[in-house]
Amino acid sequence: MLAIDRLRVQYGKQTALLVEQPIEIGAGDRVGVIGSNGAGKTTLLKAVLGLVPYQGRIRTRLCPQDIAVHMQQNNYVNTMPVKHIISAVLNTDVRTDETLRGLVDFFDFGGCMGKKFSALSGGQKQRLTIILVLYQDAPLTFFDEVTSGLDFETRQKLMEKIREWYRGKESALVVVSHYYDELERLADRLLILDKGRVAAFGRTEELFRRYCGRAVVTIPANDKNRALTAHLKTISAPAHLIAFPCADEAEEARLTALLTGKNIDYRRSGTDIEILYSNVLSGGEPL
Amino acid sequence: MKKLTLRLVGYELRNAAGNWFSVFFGVAFPILMSLLISKAFAGDMPVEAVPAFETGVFISMSLIVPMATLLVGYAANYSQELEKEIPLWLRLFGCSEGALLGAKMIANLIFMTAALAVYTIADMLILDIETPAAGSALLLAASIYLLAVILFMLAHGAAALFGKFGPTYAVTMTLYFGLMIICGLMGVPVNRLPGGVQALAGVLPMTYIGNDFAGFWQGGAYDPGPLILSFAVLGAVSFAVLLLGIWKRRRKGFA
Repeated sequence: MLAIDRLRVQYGKQTALLVEQPIEIGAGDRVGVIGSNGAGKTTLLKAVLGLVPYQGRIRTRLCPQDIAVHMQQNNYVNTMPVKHIISAVLNTDVRTDETLRGLVDFFDFGGCMGKKFSALSGGQKQRLTIILVLYQDAPLTFFDEVTSGLDFETRQKLMEKIREWYRGKESALVVVSHYYDELERLADRLLILDKGRVAAFGRTEELFRRYCGRAVVTIPANDKNRALTAHLKTISAPAHLIAFPCADEAEEARLTALLTGKNIDYRRSGTDIEILYSNVLSGGEPL
Repeated sequence: MKKLTLRLVGYELRNAAGNWFSVFFGVAFPILMSLLISKAFAGDMPVEAVPAFETGVFISMSLIVPMATLLVGYAANYSQELEKEIPLWLRLFGCSEGALLGAKMIANLIFMTAALAVYTIADMLILDIETPAAGSALLLAASIYLLAVILFMLAHGAAALFGKFGPTYAVTMTLYFGLMIICGLMGVPVNRLPGGVQALAGVLPMTYIGNDFAGFWQGGAYDPGPLILSFAVLGAVSFAVLLLGIWKRRRKGFA
């Protein structure tokens, strides 16, 4: 569906993005793109959409209208209620279009149709764009930080709605996000970018096995826990956590028994993207 | 890419009507100006001269409608859209720059027509306007629409060149009042302006419409040569600004 190879985007003399190994996105893929600010996430989207000049190859059989996109910043005119904007952008009648009505109801947006864009809340503004994007029912859709700036509850609800909408569909999604929990529930592949370079790309489970092992057990990083587990092997983790890799079931059982015995609260995960991300960036050496 | 549709034109029409710059400067302002000028001067002249004078005021102030709705109002609106990257966003939804430009022009001409109708009805109610010869009224209408298309190109090009509301508004407002003064629409006749300014007024169609049209309003001969030439000059300059603006946006990858 989309193949990216030897892609380079320059802003002046600075290389904003360099993709040296091929990246392929197929039908039904759910790709999460993560990286810190300036890692090249939005630049990658802009290159695919042809909004920035680039060197290298981006191959796709899709026409521009087969690619839908939800950019980070979305603005609309404030001179009319949003229902007229929806009607013009989608070239449809908002009163009679069943698909559109279904989307408006699905996202609880009916009460906002008569409001101007400036009168919508942050969550409502995002829902408006999501409705416009989903209506296109494109084979490939990009979401660039859809939930940025929203409160936790709104964020959770919105992502749950998107997940529900795409359940069982063959559309490919590329979701750029800073929130690991969103990607854990939505993405089956990860593209990790760091300082404009691809740090890792592949199926989430495979990457996790490669960089973290079969599972990871994490405990709070306090002095007591550090002392009690000083003899155990750890891997990179956010500052507030200590992470232990488990290569197999037996190792995991021994570790959890030890932690239970010492009355230490722990959390076990086989897909923790935050730990995975941390280990990819800490040196990039697989286990 | 989506083509020019009626819905897109309807959207742009709502966009133009919801823009207070166009509503105030294009509808309210010319009515107020014609009322103020006629009341300020008509009282000092013989009663029999008032209809001809007020007809002249009506014709010259009618030029404010295209200048305000297109040059000021449209440029203000479009530059704000550019600042918010709305045209880029619409492009990502498959609306081509060409379809948008076409929809904007048609919608703004419709809006100007409505503004012109309101202005004409209001002035007919408050001023003593002479009944025109059909040819004179048609020439005035044709000139206003041609001027509107030219000013649309100038406004679109200026907004695309600056890409931001602030500088676009400053430049178009300066042009708006500057052109009104140069063309003798602010009360000072062109022949009392400095020589250089008079030469500049000679290549602006508003000068001929505002000062000559009252002379043959009820019939008579008129040499349209200088008017046509002035349209060609202003049209060429505006087209060049439009091309420059489109070129700049393409260079930045926005179109």
